[in-house]
Amino acid sequence: MSDDAPRLEGPLPPAALDDPHLQPYAKHPERAQAVAAVAMVVGFVGFIGFGVAYWVGDNPQWEAVTLGGGLLALGFGVTAWGKYLMPQGPFEEERHEFHSTEAEREAMTAAVTERGGMVLKRRRLLGGLFALGSTAMGIVLLFPLIRSLGPKPGTTLFETNWRKNSQLVTLDGRPVRVDDLAVGGVLTVFPKGHTGSSQDQVILIRLAQLGPLDPPLVIHPPGRTDWGVQGYVAYSKMCTHLGCPVGLYQEQTQQLVCPCHQSIFNVQSGCIPEFGPAPRPLPQLPLTADSAGNLRSQNGFNQAVGPGFWERP
Amino acid sequence: MIDETIDRSLRWLDDRLGIAKGGRTFLDKIFPDHWSFMLGEIALYSFVVLLATGVFLSLYYIPSAHEVVYHGSYVPLRGQRVSEAYSSSVSLSFDVKSGLLMRQAHHWAADIFLGSIAVHMARVFFTGAFRKPREFNWIVGVSMLILGIVNGFLGYSLPDDLVSGTGIRIAYSIIESIPLVGSYLGTFLFGGNYPGNGVIIPRFYILHVLIVPLLLIGLLAAHLGLLVKQKHTQFKGKGKTEHNVVGTPMFPTFIAKTTGFLFMTSAVIFLLGGLAQINPIWQFGQYEPYQISYAVQPDWYMGWLDGALRIMPSWEWVGWGHTIPLEVFLPAVIFPGLIFNIFIVWPFIESRHTKDLAYHNLLDRPRDRPLRTAAGVAMLTLLFMVFFASSTDVLANFFQVPLVGVLWFFRIAVIVAPVIAAVVAYKICNEMRAAEGIGKRKRPQIVTRSSTGEYSTTEAEPRPGDGVDELDAIPVPTYIDLVPPELATGAGVRRVMR
Amino acid sequence: MRRLFRARYAAPAALVGCVGLVGLLAFSPNAAPAGVAVTTTLPALTTTATTATPAGQPTQSVSGALNYAAPSNQTGLFYAQLPQAFIAPGEALFAANCASCHGPAALGTNLGPNLQGLGAGTVDFWVSTGRMPLANSSVQATRKPPRFNRLQTLEIAAWVQSLTPGQGTQVPIVNTNDADLEAGNTLFTLNCAACHTITGAGDALAGGAYAPTLHLATLPQIVEAIRSGPGNMPRFSEGNITNTEARDIAAYVSGVIQHPVNRGGFGLGGIGPVGEGFVGLLIGVGALMLVCFWIGDRT
Repeated sequence: MSDDAPRLEGPLPPAALDDPHLQPYAKHPERAQAVAAVAMVVGFVGFIGFGVAYWVGDNPQWEAVTLGGGLLALGFGVTAWGKYLMPQGPFEEERHEFHSTEAEREAMTAAVTERGGMVLKRRRLLGGLFALGSTAMGIVLLFPLIRSLGPKPGTTLFETNWRKNSQLVTLDGRPVRVDDLAVGGVLTVFPKGHTGSSQDQVILIRLAQLGPLDPPLVIHPPGRTDWGVQGYVAYSKMCTHLGCPVGLYQEQTQQLVCPCHQSIFNVQSGCIPEFGPAPRPLPQLPLTADSAGNLRSQNGFNQAVGPGFWERP
Repeated sequence: MIDETIDRSLRWLDDRLGIAKGGRTFLDKIFPDHWSFMLGEIALYSFVVLLATGVFLSLYYIPSAHEVVYHGSYVPLRGQRVSEAYSSSVSLSFDVKSGLLMRQAHHWAADIFLGSIAVHMARVFFTGAFRKPREFNWIVGVSMLILGIVNGFLGYSLPDDLVSGTGIRIAYSIIESIPLVGSYLGTFLFGGNYPGNGVIIPRFYILHVLIVPLLLIGLLAAHLGLLVKQKHTQFKGKGKTEHNVVGTPMFPTFIAKTTGFLFMTSAVIFLLGGLAQINPIWQFGQYEPYQISYAVQPDWYMGWLDGALRIMPSWEWVGWGHTIPLEVFLPAVIFPGLIFNIFIVWPFIESRHTKDLAYHNLLDRPRDRPLRTAAGVAMLTLLFMVFFASSTDVLANFFQVPLVGVLWFFRIAVIVAPVIAAVVAYKICNEMRAAEGIGKRKRPQIVTRSSTGEYSTTEAEPRPGDGVDELDAIPVPTYIDLVPPELATGAGVRRVMR
Repeated sequence: MRRLFRARYAAPAALVGCVGLVGLLAFSPNAAPAGVAVTTTLPALTTTATTATPAGQPTQSVSGALNYAAPSNQTGLFYAQLPQAFIAPGEALFAANCASCHGPAALGTNLGPNLQGLGAGTVDFWVSTGRMPLANSSVQATRKPPRFNRLQTLEIAAWVQSLTPGQGTQVPIVNTNDADLEAGNTLFTLNCAACHTITGAGDALAGGAYAPTLHLATLPQIVEAIRSGPGNMPRFSEGNITNTEARDIAAYVSGVIQHPVNRGGFGLGGIGPVGEGFVGLLIGVGALMLVCFWIGDRT
């Protein structure tokens, strides 16, 4: 710092212009300035380019290159200015003692405990009643926040629209007939009148080409053989893990694989999960065929479909 | 002339707001220069881009599940009945000028926002910057991480496309899995049993654009305010003590560098936004609850939850007329809750274990705290393993190995890998500390051969940045003699530029 | 200027650059799907009508490639009747290349299944995609450059068909003029996306099998696969997916899946957030960390 500089108001005398801390970091500041200047010009051109790209074309790639390139160049220029051409420092500042003095802390504690204690200890009843009232307010204000949002689940988690003799239809509402699917065919079906319904989605698979008078295809577990008809089986399409539609049917290995987390269900044995996180088999829909050859359900499901929840027994 | 204007304006403001003293202190504020201190800025500036692009998007997106017929430019969707949310998102991508650029930039910015938070958080953790007095700031930061993850999920679910809709179905089932109250919370939030009455889309929207951003902005203000008050930490080095901060001043140097960094962060986001396609919702189609695609993963910052759900064995507890689906509840509710709680209380765990109640403004090198580093490495490895476990099917397909094998690999890796990684990290830390001259920049030895054939070595000149020729730090000069000495008039006169 | 490119940036920049490049290439839509050789597809059956050709009958062009005439003024899906002249050469080809695994009468051995009743279309699918002849039957057959040209493929198919006339999947002629892309989109999403993914990228199935990528399938191959259900693929008969619906799906796969509108830039492999996370973290955050290296100090 220059010695013959006049002492001025302020914490420190002025720094001289040739103080090494105020010099740029770059060894060749003119070169650095040239680079930064070129970069900023490129940035300017880039932004103009973005304007042109916006008006002329419908091309996100050009928009990105011009806008991004402009931002990159201009940013590079001003960063280079800051890093290479501004005073290089290093500068320091003091960290002041962070906490208050002991006396101040004691005074703070005293303000709370003594003044506060004076009024609270004497008027415990009022303090307690205020606490009680505020707590009650807090609790009841939660009711509109949470309860008003929507309906209680009721029995809706247990219900589907599959009943006795519900007709199986495709997404387009077309009735599914017994001769529609080849062996190894798979189809998403709904009960008539409820196509597209999440809860009712069922996956229909033909495992064997059997006529009405042929012996039925044996389905394990026991007692389920008559839940299929003429080689058809049907299961709820909603995975028992997290509810994703189990649309992936492997015809050779006769497995249904849930695409979300790869639970694997064995179609021949009542969709018992063989692997993966699903805990329960896919609920099976008992099938029958009516006299016109349309596929129908014998009954609804015998359990809640989809993932598990507390009320599920 | 301009100096006088500035002087007058500042006096005018100071008369009313009293800003001069605090303002000068603020302008003199010192920022340490280490590159790793800039990682939080990546997060800050990508958040700025999120807000800016988000405002744009909010002017076009329609948060409604109401069905309309799509009539826009994308032919394979024409005539399909889709929700207004989906239709407006596709129209934004095809029929709004710069719409797709803004939408993709917004999505890339979210990925980068959370990625940079992760890297920033790791830096803070491994250098011990969360210690007293900065425990609050650590907790504020972890809270922003949680809110950022939530907002990202809400945001990418807004277009109501097949892939994100599947994620919403999964979220509903996770809520349902909570014992006692799960089914109630689910139907409350969705307006009925899944898919509900359609109210979930507008609810996600208002959470995503208003409620969570307000919380984030408030926490961000607290985060930066604490940083201003407590000042930034710094590494040990020449002239750096527990009682000072050495670096560059806010004005003009840091402002220049950080403004440039804002532009460069935005640049990377917008370049990705137009050159790398992300979330092409028109290829996925409208979400329907009976349709699904394979190779469906959530965005990367949710991947660890998806991976946990995949590798969890199918343990479901059934008894006394009730079911607790542990295969959902444990990985999707308990596991993240545990992880985030560990994050939040870590400063207190560490201070209790080390019995260290002192202030810490100087940072540790990770090698100096082998236990903490090993614990951090174990946690990172665990999270990486669950994260990679989210792509089991993609990995099985890419490497042509069986699906079941990949899953078993991750089930085992999730337990074994963190232990191995922690032991290795611990050993490396100790070895590094024992090595001679560790952390010092090595100077090359120049080998010269004398005319008689002898070899001798001399140390090379120190390079810039080696710390040898660094100047001592000085306080920020308030006044600068802008006039060179040779042009000065006599003593006693203040020299100013005209 | 030299300072800007100091050696200290070289290592991290090179690392990020290499990984990012690998990521971009691995997820590039033009790269061949993993594990599958790039095929040179022979011309599929065209529908150019030549003079006075009865519908559905082949004509021999000068080059030997086959052209089928589609019924004029009609769009949609038709099934070709392969000419009798193909049967004899087909038998010879079969005996030389296929009988060792499938038996001399295509009834199957312990090395290969019974082909009788599967139909010409099924044979055409397996042979024209190069899956057959198959060296190693213990793993799922992959698409590879076909061993036979179009004529030879159809000859083999004709011979196998002749063993059980009328049965099985026939060779389709697919005319996609006036195809309903929106219907194809809906049908594809409902029936195909669960295995092949919504972008047709393919993915791993249980038991070491996999659903292949759809990006190399020709129009006839798509319909043949739908009808014959190769491998683990389900079999979609006409009662399940009608001929018009199959045509719409084929048009959608060939027009949209194979030529996706990637308006947003590089497609990153079409596998969704896995590729996007890779790029966002390694290239996005990585590049910005490099900028931090540049701006900041190392002490």
